[in-house]
Amino acid sequence: MMTASIKPKPMTAPKTLDDLVERDREHDCEGVGSQRICVRVAAVADLPSRFGDFKIVAFWNNRDGKEHTAIVHGDVIGAEDVPVRMHSECLTGDVMGSLRCDCRDQLELALRRIGELERGVVFYLRQEGRGIGLVNKIRAYALQDRGLDTVEANHALGFRDDERDYAIAAHMIRSLGLRSVRLMTNNPDKVAQLERYGVPITGRIPHLLPPNQHNRFYLETKANRSGHYIDFSGKPHLDEQSDRVLVEGMTVGED
Amino acid sequence: MRAEEHADVLVLGAGIAGLSCASALTRAGRRVLVLEKARGVGGRAATRRLDGQPVDHGVAFIHTEDPELLAHLEAAAAAHGPDELIDWPLRVEGAGQPCLPRAFAGRERRLALRGGLTVLAKHLSAGLPLRLGQRAEGLRPGQIDCDNGLFHAPDLVITAPLPQALELLRGLPAQPELHSALELLRAATVHPCITVIATYPADRPAPAWDVCYPEGGPLALIAHDSRKRAAPRCHALVLQASPRWSREHLEGDPARWSADLLAAAAPYLPHELGAPQGLQAHRWRYARLDGASQLAEPLLIDLGGGQRLGLAGEAFAWSGGVEAAFHSGRRLAQRLLVGPHKRDL
Ligand SMILES: Cc1cc2nc3c(=O)[nH]c(=O)nc-3n(C[C@H](O)[C@H](O)[C@H](O)COP(=O)(O)OP(=O)(O)OC[C@H]3O[C@@H](n4cnc5c(N)ncnc54)[C@H](O)[C@@H]3O)c2cc1C
Ligand SMILES: [Zn+2]
Repeated sequence: MMTASIKPKPMTAPKTLDDLVERDREHDCEGVGSQRICVRVAAVADLPSRFGDFKIVAFWNNRDGKEHTAIVHGDVIGAEDVPVRMHSECLTGDVMGSLRCDCRDQLELALRRIGELERGVVFYLRQEGRGIGLVNKIRAYALQDRGLDTVEANHALGFRDDERDYAIAAHMIRSLGLRSVRLMTNNPDKVAQLERYGVPITGRIPHLLPPNQHNRFYLETKANRSGHYIDFSGKPHLDEQSDRVLVEGMTVGED
Repeated sequence: MRAEEHADVLVLGAGIAGLSCASALTRAGRRVLVLEKARGVGGRAATRRLDGQPVDHGVAFIHTEDPELLAHLEAAAAAHGPDELIDWPLRVEGAGQPCLPRAFAGRERRLALRGGLTVLAKHLSAGLPLRLGQRAEGLRPGQIDCDNGLFHAPDLVITAPLPQALELLRGLPAQPELHSALELLRAATVHPCITVIATYPADRPAPAWDVCYPEGGPLALIAHDSRKRAAPRCHALVLQASPRWSREHLEGDPARWSADLLAAAAPYLPHELGAPQGLQAHRWRYARLDGASQLAEPLLIDLGGGQRLGLAGEAFAWSGGVEAAFHSGRRLAQRLLVGPHKRDL
């Protein structure tokens, strides 16, 4: 069985995010997915940021030491159609501003848009480059630097979606009490995957990057044989968010 | 006489990865041949018999939470005898680190088989066409050249430890996918492990732990192997040297290995245990993949002309060790079954 229902402990309905910490103190459900992943809301605090007023929710999970977080804007507990963006940690892009990927642009866009809306959540999953790990990601870069950007090598290095990402995300969505979500993504498969874990999805919001000096090549060139765009510096861009990059004004070809 | 045989898939290596792949392919109706240089199955999941008593001198115990592997362990155990599969180790001593820290994390189960870990390999290999005593010496698309036979199949699966696999793959015609794959594999580190089995008379007092992880020094682990057995005739300890010590002493004298490793173990053993009655040493030149070299998936490379090359083994899945070997074999079988398949007869 891939889906498992999560039965929150019966108690007075939580009203604020802070209540969730108390609710989850002893939460231990049968888990989501074949790996029976269970998460708890472990800590909540305000997070005013340059993108708006947020709260940050830190999660504990029963699988590994990865500390996933949700960046929450507005009242989301019990809300319907909540805009949600899933972002996989990318140290090189998010923090260092690397131009080898578009993670930072995608993250900033998500935070900015959600910060402007009434409510929404960015789930920041601490799965570097989709679970590949930093070492293997740098290995993938090193192969690219030597012109060895091939499908099999990237596959072996782990650039793929992990069932675990979705199971964790599904549980986090329910832990926050979202009744239904609208997923900000260009990848319809993400919608299908989350639905498999029982997340009610009422819509998909395309994630369109505004054109800038770093991503103009998306408008001008086609993807190479292994499906990666080659940027101005000659580096292929790995699809690290497993979310096809769409830049406003781009003509979308066939897959 | 040198044999010559044809199949749909040749699987090189009867370790856990090779057997996992071959059994899944066979179940799906593929004609498989498993080629193995040794005289038995299991590879590094290895068991010796000392006076009829099994001693695991490779993998000390299996840790997993993979339901499929657990099911196979249970089936293997059930076919062998009652209470064959045990939770082991239960008592762990020492301040050192296990080679895979996650072995003791989360929902992992730690398991041993009373009849020795080869019980699993024997179970996985039941009904498979095994060609034992066949050492691969050359590889070409669609063909494996062994010392005692020549084998043909459109799909080749290699599960030898990485350095040995690389040696075999060198002769294949150049091709971009293969080239990047080889670059990746060359970056991997596989540690050696010098192993010493020490046996003691059963009437002496033995340590009260199952496994000990000494901190620092030449030893990585001491397994109190006889605690896995239902009615051991002797106490058996398996001393596994650390990667560093193993590397430094790999070409040394096995008699010295025993003396040095026993001396390092002494502080963890009861004084009255005394000197061993029997000693055996084993050199694992390629014992364990370094954790930082782990890949996520097996490789399947199209060599053209309807011929493919697959690579599986402990390096090709996240979890590491036996679980990774098992998992990568399964994944590769799935991928081989999905892709185009050409019969060569
Ligand atoms: C001392 C030791 C302790 C370990 N402890 C643990 C542990 O506690 N937990 C854990 O999970 N893992 C442990 N491991 C690692 C574990 O044994 C391996 O990860 C796993 O067994 C690898 O399986 P495999 O099928 O990938 O490779 P192998 O078991 O090495 O199988 C490869 C097979 O290919 C054969 N072969 C190689 N070259 C050729 C050739 N040219 N021609 C024909 N056949 C060939 C070999 O003989 C072998 O049978 C340990 C290993 C050692 C050595
Ligand atoms: Zn990135």
